[in-house]
Amino acid sequence: MVKKVLGLTVADQASLLRIAILGLISLVAIGSRLYSVIRFESVIHEFDPWFNYRTTRYLVNNGFDKFWNWFDETAWYPLGRVVGGTLYPGIMVTSATIYNALHLLNIPVDIRNVCVFLAPAFSALTAIATYHLGKEVKNATAGLLAAAFMGVAPGYISRSVAGSYDNEGIAIFLLVFTFFLWLRSVRLGSALYGALTALSYFYMVSAWGGYVFIINLVPLHVFALLAMGRFSNRLYVAYSTFYVIGTLASMQIPFVGFQPTFTSEHMAALGVFGLIQLVAFASFARTLVPENHFRVLLRGAVVSLFVVGLSGLVLLTMSGVIAPWTGRFYSLWDTGYAKIHIPIIASVSEHQPTAWPNFFFDLNMLIWLLPAGIYFSFRELSDNHVFLILYSIFAAYFASVMVRLILTLTPIVCVLAGVAMSHVFETYLNFRDVPPSSPVKASAVSSAAPAADKAQRAADTVSDDVAVEDTDSASGHKKRGKGAKKSAAKAAEAATDTSADGAATPSTPAPNELSPGLKRFYTIFPKFVVMSCFMFLLCMFQWHCSWITSTAYSSPSVVLSSRGPDGSTFIIDDFREAYYWLRKNTKPDAKVLSWWDYGYQLAGMADRTTLVDNNTWNNTHIATVGKIMASDEDTAYELARRHDVDYVLVVFGAMLGYSGDDINKFLWMVRIAQGVYPDDIKEEAFYNQQGRYAISDDASPAMRNSLMHKLSYYRFAEVMGGRGTDKVRGQKLPTSVTLDNFEEAYTTENWMVRIYKVKDLDNLGRSHHAASKF
Amino acid sequence: MRFLATVAVASLALSGAWLGVVEAKSVSGDRVLVLVPKVEAAKLYSQFLDSLTSRGFDLSVRAATNTSVALQVDGVRIYDHAVVLSPESKKLGANLSVRDFASFVDDGGNLIVAASSELSELGRKLAARFGVEYEKRGTAVIDHVAHLRAVNDTSDHTLVAAIPSKAASPVLSEQFALAQSSPVYFKGIAHKYELNNPMLIPVLTGSRTTYSAAAASDANESASPSISLSGKPVGLVSLFQARNNARVAFSGSTALFSDALLSHAAGANKQFTTDISQWVLQEKAVLRETAHRHYLASTGQRPEHYRISNEIVYEIDLSVYHDAAWHPYNAKDVQFEAIMLDPYIRTTLNSSESADPKTTATYHGDIKLPDRYGTFTFRVNYKRPGFSNVDVKDTVGIWPLRHDEYPRFLSAAYPYYTGSLVMAVGFLALCAVWMWSAEPKTKRAAKHKSN
Repeated sequence: MVKKVLGLTVADQASLLRIAILGLISLVAIGSRLYSVIRFESVIHEFDPWFNYRTTRYLVNNGFDKFWNWFDETAWYPLGRVVGGTLYPGIMVTSATIYNALHLLNIPVDIRNVCVFLAPAFSALTAIATYHLGKEVKNATAGLLAAAFMGVAPGYISRSVAGSYDNEGIAIFLLVFTFFLWLRSVRLGSALYGALTALSYFYMVSAWGGYVFIINLVPLHVFALLAMGRFSNRLYVAYSTFYVIGTLASMQIPFVGFQPTFTSEHMAALGVFGLIQLVAFASFARTLVPENHFRVLLRGAVVSLFVVGLSGLVLLTMSGVIAPWTGRFYSLWDTGYAKIHIPIIASVSEHQPTAWPNFFFDLNMLIWLLPAGIYFSFRELSDNHVFLILYSIFAAYFASVMVRLILTLTPIVCVLAGVAMSHVFETYLNFRDVPPSSPVKASAVSSAAPAADKAQRAADTVSDDVAVEDTDSASGHKKRGKGAKKSAAKAAEAATDTSADGAATPSTPAPNELSPGLKRFYTIFPKFVVMSCFMFLLCMFQWHCSWITSTAYSSPSVVLSSRGPDGSTFIIDDFREAYYWLRKNTKPDAKVLSWWDYGYQLAGMADRTTLVDNNTWNNTHIATVGKIMASDEDTAYELARRHDVDYVLVVFGAMLGYSGDDINKFLWMVRIAQGVYPDDIKEEAFYNQQGRYAISDDASPAMRNSLMHKLSYYRFAEVMGGRGTDKVRGQKLPTSVTLDNFEEAYTTENWMVRIYKVKDLDNLGRSHHAASKF
Repeated sequence: MRFLATVAVASLALSGAWLGVVEAKSVSGDRVLVLVPKVEAAKLYSQFLDSLTSRGFDLSVRAATNTSVALQVDGVRIYDHAVVLSPESKKLGANLSVRDFASFVDDGGNLIVAASSELSELGRKLAARFGVEYEKRGTAVIDHVAHLRAVNDTSDHTLVAAIPSKAASPVLSEQFALAQSSPVYFKGIAHKYELNNPMLIPVLTGSRTTYSAAAASDANESASPSISLSGKPVGLVSLFQARNNARVAFSGSTALFSDALLSHAAGANKQFTTDISQWVLQEKAVLRETAHRHYLASTGQRPEHYRISNEIVYEIDLSVYHDAAWHPYNAKDVQFEAIMLDPYIRTTLNSSESADPKTTATYHGDIKLPDRYGTFTFRVNYKRPGFSNVDVKDTVGIWPLRHDEYPRFLSAAYPYYTGSLVMAVGFLALCAVWMWSAEPKTKRAAKHKSN
């Protein structure tokens, strides 16, 4: 068995291979995220990334101290935004560190390129972290498979292509890594790993609001283990270390501040922390009370404490001591909640409930490997597996409520799919049980040889891993609980089990003799069929992932492309054209009003003051902008003057058929405005007599008089020769659109962005309607 | 003729004194275009025009029919002021339109426009643009009580004697503020003026007995023609100041400026036309802000941005122009505002010592900024009738405190500090007790276990 190749033992060969495979996975993970750069250019995508990019630049140019205390006067004019205290600084600090490190090495990289390529780079780290998580819960095979899945799963790629410089880009890595450290610290009961978990958690808190998922899932895991009667000192050490250090660390982020002490989202963690102290005390007391009495006592106490704690929490929340759950949180439980109460949340497409095809679209075959993975977890059900089950159930629920949360589901799907797939591999690529005919024959089956080799390797790595873990757990820790041993033993058992399973089927019933050749055929052929099926599926998976990535997730949305009938590509660059016009042709302190979607881009690309942006922290201000857009010209003019607006920017898709334009978003503006100004703005007024949302001459008076309608269609009918149609809505164009208080300043090549200047007050004190009549 | 001759002599005598007193020059330039029906007609207004010349203006007297006359060439003003004394002309100069006059005013040009009962459509439209609506063509202002009384009582009731409004103090000189001031003689057409228009100053209006009616052949008859406008709303001369401080005067009478009435001893037409023209041509009541500054009270420096609740000082220097020089402007109602959508602070500034007391007055305010961060506008919006507008705006960021500027060691938190200290000490003590007392036991236990 022990063959040396290039002077390496089998174990060394295995680890070398693992490293090579991980390296390749990383390369694929990075490579498949570069479509956007190849198709378009190295540009920051979408909306939020523009804010991150702008703040990163500020950090690089002004240093950390200024960044920390930065008050942005150009956002949310005139309210301003305390940027340092209202963002998760993780991603900016990460990029700035990389940037500074590279410059220290005299590698003059532009900060934009650091930002563009950060997410792909971190996706490679995510793959490696997933490998470790998979290895932690099963073995290296599962880990490698999970890493391979994670590297290319579209559910994750959607948020981490090059240019998608968003918090999620590094946060998913941190999520996976924190969970890996947590599972290891639970398994080993090591305070060191507990502290490392807390540090990783701190990094996660600094990077993404999704840290709440960790701080709820980990206590849930602990609570589930306690309820299952699986309290152990390992768990106690791991959780206490993690919670205390993690919470104190997380409070250092200004945006989080004292939230861990008073908001509902963090109460579960605090409660479980208290509970585990009680349980630890109880288990100490156990030594003084007879065993069987104690069990009943303990469970009763745990359940009643939980009930008391929960009702206390509810009471405190209702009395206002603990901050109530936020609207975003409620909408996780009731998908209709946001639509009724918080239109601003419902208006965002990524907050919509997930359609079924999305799961297949984003996860392909992994989604049906997930139940198999859960099944295998239930079969073993160690502490780690309890965690996997909880994670998968909760993440699956959240992912089905909100589209964007498929992102948090993806890692666990990859890990569990890796577990399930590795079971398949171990079972069907195990050729050890092939009846031993002559060794010559074995080598003769040349086609099966590499597969057999692979199986050998898999089996080796399993035993290898177990060995490693054994030494791992044996070394050092004096207070090693029995759990570690148990799990190690279990793992070993499982390993032998699977091989035994594989061996059992063909080898035990051997009464009617078959010829050795036929026997070999019967053993190998089904395996061959099953494996080729799975290989086909895996290939399809990879193909699907690449295709999705290149077609669906690689568009920067700042630059659009369309295909002509002859297959040629047109680049539609109207957004940047408009922003650049603003940058070059307006006063540096000009205030630009637009719907909040474009706020970050305006700040980032046009470098002008905006009234509202994608931060959406002040609903009233957004509603005011909605009101300006939905009011008639005079009201809008007065409001715009009051807010010192110089330019109004609208996005208009009727020329090209770009359906994400402002007229299509207009009803949301109306709804949001109505929420704050119910007396002035009424949604019903914007439907015509037939109750339809019309834009042409049969539109309702409110619609026709609204600023948004006027700014969108002003002079458009002329350009289309008077008889054109709106390509997005398929309706006739409105024929007479007048505009007095605003004047057209700029319209881009494809009419996608239109910029209007707010006229100054008339020098002679008349209204602009009167003035324009002269 | 004799009467006129004596008037001319008297006016010559007077004009010497006049020259000595009022040698003013406009702040906005001295190129004046005078449009008269025919160049010869300028003689009718020689006193008025001479007074302009003597005040340092460079007059270009042109006939209204002269088609080479323009106000702007290639969008650039070629005159600083225009005096239109040809109300009957249907066309002015190079077919100047209302739009041309409006853009002249928008560009900072000042206008004096006189009308008469035979006002052309162009003049009517021009006035309408400024909120002045002339009565119908052919009407005249009539007053059977207050009019210029001739000796033999054949007086013309359309030659109205009006007393200037006392409210227009910065425009008119002091003598009009007296209780018994001399009347201003007016013969021409009335206009309606917008009462609520803050840009319009009705400087000369009718009295209770004044009305506007069709100028019948025998206007002295107190028959009852259709009276469309009567009493105080009868506008005779109105002044208009645009947002850019350009000034316009509308007089319903060209005669008001004529030598005949100017030289009338009993009337105050000379003083009145001088006052009006000085005001319109930016020779008086021109207010300006020469400088303004704001800085931290503690350091005296202006930082890049303030912090909440900072104590700051705001100062503004104001000058007023009259008699050919800038003088300090003294008032008690200069207000400062700090605005973020709504005014957070509105306070009156006190006058303080000026660095240049001969020309400027300094207003000073010690202000505590609001406890609210955001982009604020510091504004002094000083608009008083008759004076030019002063609107000074600064956009200033008020930032929240830095992370290290918050107060440390609050007295209210002493129990918590004590608590955490006790906790830390207790933990150390417990560790010490554990280490010194429990160690031998554990060693033994460990030995037992290993055995």
